[in-house]
Amino acid sequence: MLAGKGINEVYNLSGGIRGWNGQVAFGQEELGLSLFTGNETPEETLVVAYSLEAGLHDFYLSMIPRVKSSDAKNLFEKLSEIEIRHQDSIFKEYLEITGKSSNRKEFEKTVIVKAVEGGLTSEEYADMFRPDWESTKDIVDIAMSIEAQALDLYLRVSNQSVDPKSKKVLLQIASEERIHLTQLGKLMEQI
Amino acid sequence: MRWKQFLTPVKSIGAGEGHRLIEKNPSEEMTILDVRQPGEYKAQHIPGAKLIPLPDLHERIAEVDPNKPTIVY
Repeated sequence: MLAGKGINEVYNLSGGIRGWNGQVAFGQEELGLSLFTGNETPEETLVVAYSLEAGLHDFYLSMIPRVKSSDAKNLFEKLSEIEIRHQDSIFKEYLEITGKSSNRKEFEKTVIVKAVEGGLTSEEYADMFRPDWESTKDIVDIAMSIEAQALDLYLRVSNQSVDPKSKKVLLQIASEERIHLTQLGKLMEQI
Repeated sequence: MRWKQFLTPVKSIGAGEGHRLIEKNPSEEMTILDVRQPGEYKAQHIPGAKLIPLPDLHERIAEVDPNKPTIVY
């Protein structure tokens, strides 16, 4: 059907989703889209993305006192530090795009942290996955699933974005999420 | 009769080649199309996949950019 409609390059994924051996996302197409209207400017887009990274950072920090094993504590600390670097990257892009000379603290006043990346709160994630928080493997697993959700969200939002510059920003953030996933994959291999 | 649909081959690819295609093409330059039902999509889908359930595909085909490579599952 696709080939007959002028779509030049069509690839059928053998085995469908069951044949896919990478990270998957879940949720209906609208999940998390309420965080974005589609009419955001590049600046507003970056504020929302920063908010989501901050939400995830806070989530990892909040887990440190909740776990007993030092391996788990150290891992949550490492993950929270990774999120800070993600925030650094978004803030840098914000300064470049806006030309503003805001300091980080002023910028963070505009950020409202409601949802972890992917559109769910940390509690909602915990309820859904029920991981063993003392297991470093489970922790990285859930971190990877959150990053996959984030990737999915940014790609879906880019599809509805009206401003081409905002679309470009979203796609750039999405490609950075792919890199985050790869980094976590390597972390998983070290465990 | 649309002969083109019989003459245009659709290649089947495995997950490995799928990953390579996705890595090679920036997100804005390809389409991942999920033709399953909404409940199946909700349970799990490839990140960034666009959902057009198969029964709706004929009516919504214009939503698929013909100039971009498309991975369909």
